[in-house]
Amino acid sequence: MKLRTRPRFPSRRARVGIAAATTLITAIALTGCGVGGGDATADADTLTVVVEGGGKAELQPIADLYKEETGTTVKLVELPYAGLYDRISTELSSGSPTFDVAALDAIWLSAFADGLAPLDDLYTDDVKDDLFGGLVTEAQVNESFIGMPVWTNSEILFYRTDLFEDATNKADFEAKFGYPLAAPTDWEQYHDIAEFFTRDTDGDGQTDLYGTDVKGAVETEWLATVSQAGEEHMVLDAESGDVTIASAEHLEALDYYTSLLPYAPSGASQLDWAGSQNLFYQGNLAMMRFWGHAYRATPDDSVVKDSIGVAPMIAGPAGIGGVPGAWYLSVPTAGAKQEAAKEFVQFAYEHNDLSADTSLGLVARKSAFEAKSGEAGFENYPALLDTLNAPQTLPRPATPEWQEIVDSVLVPMLQKAVEPGAENAALLEEAKSQIEAIVQ
Amino acid sequence: MNGLETRGKTRIVLWALLAAALILYGFPFIYLLLTSFKTPLEAISVPPEVLPTQWTLENYVSALSREGVPAALVNSVVTAVISTALSLVLAVPAAYAITRFRTPSGRVFIVAALVTRMVPTIAVGAPLVEIMRNLGITDTSFGLALAHTTISLPLSIWLMASFFEAVPDELDEAAKVDGCSRLQALWRVVIPVVTGGVAVTAIFAFLASWNEFLFALLLTSVRAQTTPIVIANFQSQFGLDWGGMTALAAVYSIPVILLTLFLQRHIVAGLTLGAVKG
Repeated sequence: MKLRTRPRFPSRRARVGIAAATTLITAIALTGCGVGGGDATADADTLTVVVEGGGKAELQPIADLYKEETGTTVKLVELPYAGLYDRISTELSSGSPTFDVAALDAIWLSAFADGLAPLDDLYTDDVKDDLFGGLVTEAQVNESFIGMPVWTNSEILFYRTDLFEDATNKADFEAKFGYPLAAPTDWEQYHDIAEFFTRDTDGDGQTDLYGTDVKGAVETEWLATVSQAGEEHMVLDAESGDVTIASAEHLEALDYYTSLLPYAPSGASQLDWAGSQNLFYQGNLAMMRFWGHAYRATPDDSVVKDSIGVAPMIAGPAGIGGVPGAWYLSVPTAGAKQEAAKEFVQFAYEHNDLSADTSLGLVARKSAFEAKSGEAGFENYPALLDTLNAPQTLPRPATPEWQEIVDSVLVPMLQKAVEPGAENAALLEEAKSQIEAIVQ
Repeated sequence: MNGLETRGKTRIVLWALLAAALILYGFPFIYLLLTSFKTPLEAISVPPEVLPTQWTLENYVSALSREGVPAALVNSVVTAVISTALSLVLAVPAAYAITRFRTPSGRVFIVAALVTRMVPTIAVGAPLVEIMRNLGITDTSFGLALAHTTISLPLSIWLMASFFEAVPDELDEAAKVDGCSRLQALWRVVIPVVTGGVAVTAIFAFLASWNEFLFALLLTSVRAQTTPIVIANFQSQFGLDWGGMTALAAVYSIPVILLTLFLQRHIVAGLTLGAVKG
């Protein structure tokens, strides 16, 4: 096609058309319209809840029931995880939030604490008894409860039942390691099984099945390992301000974490949650430690779709340890409908079990987990219960600088640690200095 | 070596460079397109495959049937069109006045307009939320378009000013001799000469709004949410729907491609406007 380079003069008719279009657009603009549904800001019978994209499905059945029972519409505003923090931060600092309730990631609670209303009256003894200890601790900032858990996650152990139940594998494993092949329960067993399954399955001289993965681009799995090693204050003690990352337990955890590298695919420094999940679904991993919700999210075309077993997170010297991945419903102090918002938060707690039958399938209350534990399709619940109930399943430090510590210290340190020749002790000392500079 | 051979070799080198540049620019988009036709598992395979082994429209069906997607596409169009119109309506007279009257305050104004581009967008987020709320236009396409106009207007003024600079003052004088007022000279004589420049400016303003994320995140909730926010929602803390995300991104690219093709002759004209001045 030949390009025309000579500017054409629009005809009078065309210019009239442009003017008419401009007028029309201005008219549309002045109506202030948008086509995405009703007004989120709201009348008296509407509550607006901002929620991360993946969590909307969790709250939808509760919102529907709330409407049915009270007549109040709950608008769930779905926002991407990557932008939710900025949105809430901006609105809270503006002093006039457009939302009545926010679903907050646990790690944000301390950062937003000043702008959130206390929910202490909702935390009765019965409520505390029905929540995991780590969640109750995490919800309390500056001696006030500022969030009510709405669902919680934790890493658990995923393994391939086709490999574990194979008779040859069973015999070979027992002959080599002296105990029966089963889902591992501690560090040593996990290491042995990872070593056992790392192999070339098609005889082309290349390893194509790995015992496990090692994630270098995310920090939570190593933090769970730190708790398993017996550390009571991962990374830092938020109350005293002491940075603990160079402790013996942290070093032991990092040494164990990186000892699995020979049994993991290369490229650990860039491996994150999505990459790990994909490797498992493609059949390249015999085991992975991963968030419990993934049990219900296996793609239909995965080669391991019908061969996935789950078990509690492995134990280190101090026992089973995970990191609770809870989300909390919180009410902004400057919100216009605080009482109505708190009523919804309480309603959501009381009907927490409704979230079990959603695509994500996560709940927060012990009783809601227990009620479904025996049902088909909820095989991950007992594993989640055991992990979340474990004494060493400890929350991340309640510090407003947590995200900065993760992004600028923990992940870069792990990425160095999974490279050949890394000096773990030196890396932890370096990280300690960096974190001290951030928090002090 | 004669001149013909030299020209032939130069041509080959130029074509090779052009092909390399095309691949460099085009590969990410082509990869996105190819990924949108992969099965969910293949879309996220490690290591990634370039070509789908099994072609499917599953991602398009699931992405387009997802709640909020059609409305977001409409909102994106409405917001971008309003923002583009506002940018042009404000930038054209501003740039014309600056280039024709050449006052010191005009020069200060145009530099000041550029300085606003240097302020990080997030820094004006909170005040903008407050202003929009006080005006009662949060979560409206108009409010978002206003915010987008603050991004595109400075660039639009600069672009239009450079295009007006290329038009000799004598043209305005001739129009005035023929009985036109200043505004009539602008509308009837000067603007038709810089049609290409207006097209280029319109495309920049449209794209600035079409792809904008942060203001859309901060200023919309349900009614006026635009497609970049919906695309980002395909990645949640609990998983990444890479296939659906690429499918919607591919669909979202179509209007921009069509607009560029439709206006390409004006764009080329705009880019070469003033090239032969003097």
